[in-house]
Amino acid sequence: MSYLALKTPPIREERLKACNAYGGSAGCLLKGSKAGCLAQTGRSFLQAAGCQFTLSLASINTIQDSVVLLHGPLGCGVGTSMVANGIVKINQGNRGLKQRGVVAVSTNLNEVDVISGGEQKLREAIVGVDRHLHPTAIFVVSSCVPAIIGDDIDTVVRDVQPEVSAKLLVLHCEGFKTKIQATAYDATYHAILRGLFEVDPRLLPPEPQVRTEQVEAREAAEERLRKRTVNLLNVSSMSWVDEVELTRLLNALDLEVNIYPCYAHPDDFIRTTEAALSISICPTHDDYFLSHLQELYGVPSMITTMPLGITNTRKWLLDVAGHFGKEELALRIIDSEEREVRAAIKPLIAQLKDKTAFVCAGEFRAAGTALLLEEDYGMKVLGVRAFHYDSFADDIFAQLPRQDEMNINVAPWQPFEQANLLHKLNPDVFVGHVGGNVWAAKEGFAVIPIFSPSNSYLGYKGIFEMANRLERVVRNAAFNKRIAQQVSAPYRASWYDDAPFKFIKQDGLA
Amino acid sequence: MPTYVETPRYACALGGAIGAVNALPRTVPILHASLGCGGNLNAALGPAAGHAGSSYMGGLASPCSGVQENEIVFGGERRLSEQIEATLDIVDADLYVVLTGCMTEMVGDDVDAVVGTYRAKGVPIVPVATGGFKGNSLVGYDLVLRALFRHYVEQGVPKQPGSVNLWGIPPGLDVFWEGNLIELRRLLDALGLKVNAIYTPNDNLNDLRNAAAAELNIVVSPLYGVDAARVFEEVHGTPFVQLDFPIGGHGTRRFLLQVASRLGLQAALVDDLIKREEETYYHFLSRSLDAYNDIDLQRFAIIIGNVNYAYGLTEFAYRELGWLPELVVVNDILIDEQKESVAAGFASLVPELAGKLVFETDNSRMIEHFSRAWSPSNGQRYYRSFSPSFVLGSTLDKELADAVGAGHLPVTYPVSNRQVLTRAYAGYRGGLTLVEDIFSVLLQAR
Repeated sequence: MSYLALKTPPIREERLKACNAYGGSAGCLLKGSKAGCLAQTGRSFLQAAGCQFTLSLASINTIQDSVVLLHGPLGCGVGTSMVANGIVKINQGNRGLKQRGVVAVSTNLNEVDVISGGEQKLREAIVGVDRHLHPTAIFVVSSCVPAIIGDDIDTVVRDVQPEVSAKLLVLHCEGFKTKIQATAYDATYHAILRGLFEVDPRLLPPEPQVRTEQVEAREAAEERLRKRTVNLLNVSSMSWVDEVELTRLLNALDLEVNIYPCYAHPDDFIRTTEAALSISICPTHDDYFLSHLQELYGVPSMITTMPLGITNTRKWLLDVAGHFGKEELALRIIDSEEREVRAAIKPLIAQLKDKTAFVCAGEFRAAGTALLLEEDYGMKVLGVRAFHYDSFADDIFAQLPRQDEMNINVAPWQPFEQANLLHKLNPDVFVGHVGGNVWAAKEGFAVIPIFSPSNSYLGYKGIFEMANRLERVVRNAAFNKRIAQQVSAPYRASWYDDAPFKFIKQDGLA
Repeated sequence: MPTYVETPRYACALGGAIGAVNALPRTVPILHASLGCGGNLNAALGPAAGHAGSSYMGGLASPCSGVQENEIVFGGERRLSEQIEATLDIVDADLYVVLTGCMTEMVGDDVDAVVGTYRAKGVPIVPVATGGFKGNSLVGYDLVLRALFRHYVEQGVPKQPGSVNLWGIPPGLDVFWEGNLIELRRLLDALGLKVNAIYTPNDNLNDLRNAAAAELNIVVSPLYGVDAARVFEEVHGTPFVQLDFPIGGHGTRRFLLQVASRLGLQAALVDDLIKREEETYYHFLSRSLDAYNDIDLQRFAIIIGNVNYAYGLTEFAYRELGWLPELVVVNDILIDEQKESVAAGFASLVPELAGKLVFETDNSRMIEHFSRAWSPSNGQRYYRSFSPSFVLGSTLDKELADAVGAGHLPVTYPVSNRQVLTRAYAGYRGGLTLVEDIFSVLLQAR
């Protein structure tokens, strides 16, 4: 069912019964997920995490020729924008785009606005940005404060749209509305689907007056191309190297690849409707967009697998190939790729075999990485932490070994639970999503970041590069170990002996 | 001047407040705010501040009530109590500071009352109202100091001659805050003073608790921490002096003389210190005479930063390096009255450059100010170009530097492309470090 008539998409707690607090075995998690009883949990002790602002900005900071208009007090989103600037520039350079960095503007709501409303400031900012910076699109991202003071953002935007040349998009990203950060992806795609899918008739080629053979031949060629063109959905924390690797594999299947949403141009999104297939690497990121693309524009999608590790890269490629009737070609490619990568990692996995690991990331990355370590490197995964959990991940979590012993923790960061678990499990290496790895490092563990904007993780290259990095990190973790001996963690000694999930409760307020 | 701010070079009041709390030893913030506030501000406090790190229990470890719709409708006091209880249960700290975000202030939670019940039990915990809408990070820094001075610093402590407190250099918003405070503290120590600089490794919470013993508060800023100094004076009766942020020989000499004169120190004591320090300072600085004069390291300069650095860097570039600042941008958000006082202060510091100062918060408008400051080429044969030139600003000002063909050193917030640990630009040692860093950029290709 399409949600596009609504101003905001439903939150993931409602739409997907997503859960943000769980501790126990993989087996119990899956039972709970199937019974639908995970979503009501919460915590009575909580640590700061991100909100819808964090993840929506991660994507829209990258959109070409756009300005991110942060409607809220100064703090909402500015850190993300300042820090993303350099990374976005590098990525723009990699893709041959103008290196303009992130252009973010804050309406800077202050004490007066909190009383008298922020609509006038928003209007001024939209007009000012349009006149002064003339972007193709302005993403208006509204935070908690405008929601409480009752700013009618959609009306402001609708009223001012005729006065400006930029396309205006609205993202409602109130942090207090959802415990599931990933709702931000839906807010982002919701805005894109509502704002960037109308074709400007001026951009269409003129209808040919006479249907000559040439015109028909051209149309036939376009149709042939369309039938082998796919949308590849990237995510902001994925590197350009990963895009190159996945594009290489899809090209090998004789497919043309266009990549969205990160680093795409606002005018490009409409072209997603013309593709023969949309390919996601992460359901958490793309399900909202792709289900709408399928329902409204008939573009089928493939969304269940992340091409991470030998098994899942094989499955991902075969699924794509299956759609185009190219299984045989895919198998030939896969066999040759697997043979080559297995030989390449052989000396590395001799060093990694039987080493123990703990993985922390988004639900798909966490489980996918755990499988990569177990199956391809012969390591032993002691625990997996996911930032949230929903039934999309049931299949991949069911693939995890030792279901009844595998420690699963669902937590949006929450390093206190992690500290307790790590103390009990004592892994050789901690494999964690960028952003919070300091809290494992401070406990003295060897750490390797997963998913960063400059490293390779996906496809066959990723299998090799990850082994490469792991071997080096495991070989010498002196930096973390030495500092951890000298610097104390902030928890009382008693916390490490306590039950790790004692603050998770069915009726927890947070 | 537009009401919006392009690519803000500060966080909100909550952001500045978290920075001011995290920089205290064994002190833990408890955020009574939406879940995302702490996470989002983390980028502004760590990576944007020279990768300052997550502190003792900052960043994603900060305890946070994470209020949701339920608390916004029914009030968040119960949730705050629950969070404080749990924090005391598992977190080991010497001081807890409850910081409120926009939401919990707007719904009117009585945070003082909730925190008051713990204070009554003897828990070292202080509440500060730091809703993001109250202003930028500098406001948050001031609010935390004010609250500490009111609720943490003990009253009725007898004054100790020669005892001073030092602040005005906000953690994070001055990326080199710790090194700067260490250097200024070192100099004041050398004057025989008993110094509490709050945020250096030589300071501790006990000294902060006894800060009312000071006979003078030294605020090293024309703006930051001044309201806090007024509160201190009101509550504890200690007067304050506002001094400009000193970089290098010229500014530091003035700084020391002003402190000595205000405290009535013996002239011989301060003269002797200045003599010793300047001997060392010029011993090292004179090494660069060769490079400066053989390679010609004089530059036209653009200086962009908050008021502390706009003053300090301009004075240093002009009076010490013999450079020519052609545009000085103060990027603080200021009301007209503050702008007038900042401009007046600047004019008395470097009267020759009074016309070069502008107030601007927006990235894309910096280049417009430059076009007004330096006439653009109209294709004439003998055009005097802005060359050789240098930009002392933030990481974000690299683009401007590239656009005008200038060298660039990121010094002012945000600095996301350097790792800063003990580095200082204040004082004598800081001046030398700044020369090393600037000239190293100019000598990079050799």
